[in-house]
Amino acid sequence: MMSKDVLIIGGGIAGIQASLDLADMGVKVHLVEKLPSIGGKMAQLDKTFPTNDCAI
Amino acid sequence: MLDVGRHPNIELLAYSEVENVQGQAGDFKVFVRKKARYVEENKCTGCGACSEKCPTTVQDAFNEGLGTRTAVYAYFAQGIPSTRTIDPDHCRQLNGKKCGICAKVCQADAIDFDQKDRMMELNVGAIILAAGYDVFDPSLIPEYRYREIPNVMTAMEFERLLSASGPTGGHVDRPSDLAVKADIEPLEKKINKSSRTLEKFEKKYDLTSQEFYTSYTSGEFKDDDDRKKWADKYQDHLSIVQTLEALKEKTKTFGPAKRLAFIQCVGSRDFRFYPFCSGYCCMHSIKEAIIANEHEPETTSTIFGMDIRAVGKGFEEYKVRGGNTSGITYVRGRVAEITEGPEHNPVVIYEDTRERKVIAKDFDLVILATACAPPKGMVELSKILGIALDDYGFVKTSALSPVDTTVPGIFVCGCAESPMDVPESVAQASSAAERAAEIVFQSDLEKDKAIA
Repeated sequence: MMSKDVLIIGGGIAGIQASLDLADMGVKVHLVEKLPSIGGKMAQLDKTFPTNDCAI
Repeated sequence: MLDVGRHPNIELLAYSEVENVQGQAGDFKVFVRKKARYVEENKCTGCGACSEKCPTTVQDAFNEGLGTRTAVYAYFAQGIPSTRTIDPDHCRQLNGKKCGICAKVCQADAIDFDQKDRMMELNVGAIILAAGYDVFDPSLIPEYRYREIPNVMTAMEFERLLSASGPTGGHVDRPSDLAVKADIEPLEKKINKSSRTLEKFEKKYDLTSQEFYTSYTSGEFKDDDDRKKWADKYQDHLSIVQTLEALKEKTKTFGPAKRLAFIQCVGSRDFRFYPFCSGYCCMHSIKEAIIANEHEPETTSTIFGMDIRAVGKGFEEYKVRGGNTSGITYVRGRVAEITEGPEHNPVVIYEDTRERKVIAKDFDLVILATACAPPKGMVELSKILGIALDDYGFVKTSALSPVDTTVPGIFVCGCAESPMDVPESVAQASSAAERAAEIVFQSDLEKDKAIA
């Protein structure tokens, strides 16, 4: 059956951005993450260059 | 992250893995294994009472092994979903020992030791792969002695030290110092225990241990077994106290690391490993040096690199500002070797190619700017999806369609495609989302055509 859902593999910053973009368009998204929480490598970062803004 | 957890259109399947994919663009059948957390997600309130009481401590992967967590844990404090997870490799109860304390203290009754992995079947029109990357393991470069010298660490480990929510609360403590401090707590516990035992003897014989020991060593009570036990205990106690005092004396000389060395291109631009540039590491090192200087204004950093690649909006200015105001010196040269000097200070041996001199210089801490490597399990995942990888294990794409994989309907974004920084990942993610939307909405367009 043709489906309108999208599967996203990986809940880091790229997966999160793609999920939110599609979900805001009205697409149903299934976000699969291997680890217990989403956030990925960016969640481990303290600040980001070049503005020294806090990471997620 | 919070938006993802709350969005009505997003079904978040954390702690899950894709096991099988069938079908083609517009109609994929996906099998997902939802791993057992042993905690019911819809009941857990994330209060953390279980983690407080859990008796098992495990090295914390989120803090790159620099801190500890318990066997029932939240991956990190603000993690989404906020549900706790029980680590089946370390939980006492799940390994057949008597425990179950978490289940007793959980007021929401969310702990379920009998939970099993659950298989789910999804029907989707498109797939986006955003599997990210792994940090290159620098122990593969023997001359940098990553695992041998405690004060040589990766940029990601240093990031956790700098973080206010990290294991040191943002203080740049050296791992060699942290190891000494970690030894103090168990010794203090031992002393408390032995003092309690000694107190019992003191009450029994109405004598302080010290007075008793003086008379014991001068030859009294030699035949009394109970008193001999007391003397042995007191002897042990004294030796522990002595070790503890020595350690405490040592910690007085400890302070934050103030002379930092950053070594660029560890595993990248290296023909033994990844011959290409990972792109973000130069800026990452500059950022860490600037933040370290903000935390402790006396901090000076030396960044060793073949060249500093500050390509991006505002990047070059950031690099110059770091040099002018944050105590950063840029040295052109590739580090040949790292050895260990006195006081656990790493010694960096390098050629300054501008001065044409070979120099050995000691630092408090050395940070390795490690390459971006494809994530573990990428080969298996590519087989499940049927997509091709490039020579190094990143997803194969072409220059003119950078988010399309070799299978129609499957797209890629972020570091799974190639090394890139956060803004690029975000841009590529939006691009992949748009490509997936094309597929998903195409069926609508075709339906409209048929009706017309």
